[in-house]
Amino acid sequence: MDISTVIAGTRFDNPVFLASGIVDETLKSVERAIKSGAGAAVTKSIGKDERPGYAPPIISELPTGMINAVGLANPGIDDFIDEFRTSKLKEKIVVSIFGKDSEEFLELAKRVQEVGFKTVELNLSCPHVKGYGSEVGEDPDLVEEIITELKNKTNLKVWAKLTPNVTHIVDIAKAAEGADALVLINTVKAIGVNIWARKFSLTNGIGGYSGPGIKPIALRAVYDVYRETGKEIIGVGGITSYEDAIEFILLGAKAVQVGTAIYYKDFQIFNEISQGIINYLEKEGFENLQEIIGLMVR
Amino acid sequence: MKFSEIASAKKIGKDFFELSFSIDSEVKPGQFLMIWVPGVKEIPMSVSNLKNPITISFKAIGETTRKLSTMREGQRIFYRGPYGNTFPEPKGRAAYVAGGTGIASLLPLIRIHPGDVYYGLRTAEDIVYGEIVNFVSTDDGTLGFKGNVVDLFIKEDKEYDEVFVCGPEPMMKYFHDKIDRRKYGKIYYSLERLMKCGVGICDSCSINGFRVCKDGTVFEHEQLDMMDEFGTVRRAESGRRIFLK
Repeated sequence: MDISTVIAGTRFDNPVFLASGIVDETLKSVERAIKSGAGAAVTKSIGKDERPGYAPPIISELPTGMINAVGLANPGIDDFIDEFRTSKLKEKIVVSIFGKDSEEFLELAKRVQEVGFKTVELNLSCPHVKGYGSEVGEDPDLVEEIITELKNKTNLKVWAKLTPNVTHIVDIAKAAEGADALVLINTVKAIGVNIWARKFSLTNGIGGYSGPGIKPIALRAVYDVYRETGKEIIGVGGITSYEDAIEFILLGAKAVQVGTAIYYKDFQIFNEISQGIINYLEKEGFENLQEIIGLMVR
Repeated sequence: MKFSEIASAKKIGKDFFELSFSIDSEVKPGQFLMIWVPGVKEIPMSVSNLKNPITISFKAIGETTRKLSTMREGQRIFYRGPYGNTFPEPKGRAAYVAGGTGIASLLPLIRIHPGDVYYGLRTAEDIVYGEIVNFVSTDDGTLGFKGNVVDLFIKEDKEYDEVFVCGPEPMMKYFHDKIDRRKYGKIYYSLERLMKCGVGICDSCSINGFRVCKDGTVFEHEQLDMMDEFGTVRRAESGRRIFLK
């Protein structure tokens, strides 16, 4: 059964990718995800300068997922390049980058391109760091400007990861139309409270909610954006099983990303979902994955 | 995040403390808890006594452990876990090789299955749990063998079916590289790294793609053979590599 998928002209063996921010700070872990069956793996978001991130607690476990505020911890682009340039799996590694303006994004993208990576994912959506992520991604003009710069001045494939923390995600998706693909959605801005300590659950107070609890929100975003824009979409948000993945695919996603599912099922999640998709397609009488992409929206 | 009330708080040595409290799940040898001190930080801590009320043993060296050292009976302690894999139960002649606070994670096994305990310290006044120690070394020679615990272990030249090692990474690296592997059956190491999430998703504690919090903390000697970052590269809070040699 063929479950390969093509995103912006690039073919991937299967549609189950590792989402940015989960076990992807170190090269060997990113490669482990790929060797464990991920069709592609997106790195932790990399910025211009080193950031230690927030002090723990950086995650809070919930019955329906978790809230995190890691704080864009990253070694900075120089150190990242030093570590990741040696990888032989660059075709399957997508580098997530974040910046405060188009100049920073462009500078980072050029560095990534120089060492042979083909695709970047723009973090326009981290909900818990001032001046970055969703603060950039909530501004349609800025989103458009960043993507135009990158498309004009690099040869990279550009995936734009959007925030659900806006009134109309379709407006942002339209602003991001110049991107090769849209990644929907990042975490949902959230707060956790510990009543016994009378403190926020996370050191940063504000965090991003991920896991099964946000799946319906992500599905709605994928559906709306696919219907309104027809863009190539990678679905992400609460996917922990093949059934979840297929829900996204039926609504228009050409691939999915899993993150928090690693916490539930560890690295075997990739093969589990791929195998589940294969079984589903066979059982339901489809020839390949392509046949069900956006099937419910056509 | 759960919480419990501290059942007892003791100072057992120089800057060394024990806190005991009851928890609602079973802890196995080698596992750890994430301990949160509201307003300060959350840190991983190994469990030195597994039966309720369980015990954590620590040296007050950082902001969080210093705050913990001031906590008293009846106060709330916040935790999640236990996390991590476990030491297998020893079956034959066992040796325990500890450096500094590494003794804490070996204590449950030592109680279940007594064996030779080697303990390395900086100086005589750092000694804790002296009653269970068979061989001691100090860097300055103020107690026992002068030098490090690995050299002491090699000098004693005994044979063991199982060896359990826990201490600072440079000490464990030295042990790993220096000993005559053929003299021992299985060798297990409990690793310690900067840890943020404790559940295998943040990648802060990874060594060559092995997450100390989730794939470990216990690794076999032969697994460490495959980790060229073990003892040579550590990670800053940002994830930046820091080369040790």
